[in-house]
Amino acid sequence: MLPIDAAAHASAWRRRHPVDKAVLGLGLTVLAVGLPAWPGAALVLVTALVVLLGPARVPARRLWRAYRVPLGFSVTGALPLLVRVGGGDGFAGWAPGGPAHAGELLLRTSAASLGVLLFAFTTPLSDLLPRLVRAGVPAPVVDVALVTYRMSFLLLDSVRRVRAAQAARLGHTTRAAAWRSLGGLGATAFVRAFDRAARLQTGLAGRGYDGTLRVLVPQAAVSARFTAGSVALLGLLAALAFALRGPLT
Amino acid sequence: MVPVSQETGQGASSIHEVLERVCRVMHIAEGFLPPAHAIAWGVASAPFVVHGVRSLTREVREHPESTLLLGAAGAFTFVLSALKLPSVTGSCSHPTGTGLGAVLFRPPVMAVLGTITLLFQALLLAHGGLTTLGANVFSMAIAGPWAGYGVYRLLRRLDVPLMVTVFCGAFVADLATYCVTSVQLALAFPDPGSGFWGALGKFGSIFAVTQVPLAVSEGLLTVLVMRLLVRSSEGELTRLGVLVARTGERAAVAR
Repeated sequence: MLPIDAAAHASAWRRRHPVDKAVLGLGLTVLAVGLPAWPGAALVLVTALVVLLGPARVPARRLWRAYRVPLGFSVTGALPLLVRVGGGDGFAGWAPGGPAHAGELLLRTSAASLGVLLFAFTTPLSDLLPRLVRAGVPAPVVDVALVTYRMSFLLLDSVRRVRAAQAARLGHTTRAAAWRSLGGLGATAFVRAFDRAARLQTGLAGRGYDGTLRVLVPQAAVSARFTAGSVALLGLLAALAFALRGPLT
Repeated sequence: MVPVSQETGQGASSIHEVLERVCRVMHIAEGFLPPAHAIAWGVASAPFVVHGVRSLTREVREHPESTLLLGAAGAFTFVLSALKLPSVTGSCSHPTGTGLGAVLFRPPVMAVLGTITLLFQALLLAHGGLTTLGANVFSMAIAGPWAGYGVYRLLRRLDVPLMVTVFCGAFVADLATYCVTSVQLALAFPDPGSGFWGALGKFGSIFAVTQVPLAVSEGLLTVLVMRLLVRSSEGELTRLGVLVARTGERAAVAR
């Protein structure tokens, strides 16, 4: 299982309805993107971090491992904002207001990522996907996504085992061997995925498969209290951002 | 040597490796694009995804067993993007899988499978994001597959050997993804001195360091995978239409 999904299954908010967590997590993301980066995104960043490490009880180490991925892209993507090309003063130079622009972008991206991570670290995909039908996503697409989700873990396990076996047979010792092993790994993934699909099809046909995949979804009700609290928090953050904008800029 | 993989939950050993991982597949991170751009790219992607969803729904209604095969295709695409790829520069990264996916499953299906894969990557691996999903879908699930598939079909018509067409398809798909992402970033953050074109040069050059060698690597990997598939999964490739009308050439390639 992937680290974020494993953490979501063990989350303190595992039994909460996905809508509860979406209102809070994705609401924070929308605020981070929509509000002025300073002080709006900074407020969202601090709030998201407090909620993640506090009530949601997400392990800090796991959070950092997931968080550094979008952070790295943001740093790489923000670097070009520091310089300008062309214009009046020579071919290249420092962009006017570049550091402030790059800093705002970093702040906004960092805060927005934490909002999504709050949702991801507390909501397993297996709870979310079946409920997407009610949100208007066609049932066949949800079924394909469900099969993809469940088969991905089996296939990833399979690929890891094949990779270990290749390493044990010195399949990664030289560059040529590494390429050969990698090609074999990709082809094996394809063969195993389709072989598993065929076996699954045979098994389901034996049980009267009619084209719909029924899965058990843990029962949970949308909490009006939690949702109202989340909306109130989001409103407070927006109001604070606008109130502090003047004094802090 | 410490293995670097978010998928296995193990850490990177240096900043260089972290950056390598980040630059590897050009997912635009959450919140990186201004709201208007994020919405615009979502709107631009919508017709392609809706078209793909409609063909997928029709296919599943006519042949219910296709659900499992399409799920397998999605899982394969997801796992392919998790493989560690030795880049020709000596560094390590991951393929996009868009070229191979487009050749095997066709671009309309890839629009849906790519969207599902990008959603999984955003929620399971923190690669990309939900507000930037439209932009990432446009570059990786639409532009990349269509460009790669276009080149693949064109070269097939010109009777170019299968493996050459597969390499070119995968190379162009990867490169198109990288170019479209650079355009998306340049449109969002034009250069103060030279506007869009200057920004395109900046973003293009900073990502070219990793992405151009990666496109070559991905082309090579796709050829290796396809060579093995031609030997081991002829039935599936025929059903998917990769080996349909080229029986004579197929036999020649297989040897």
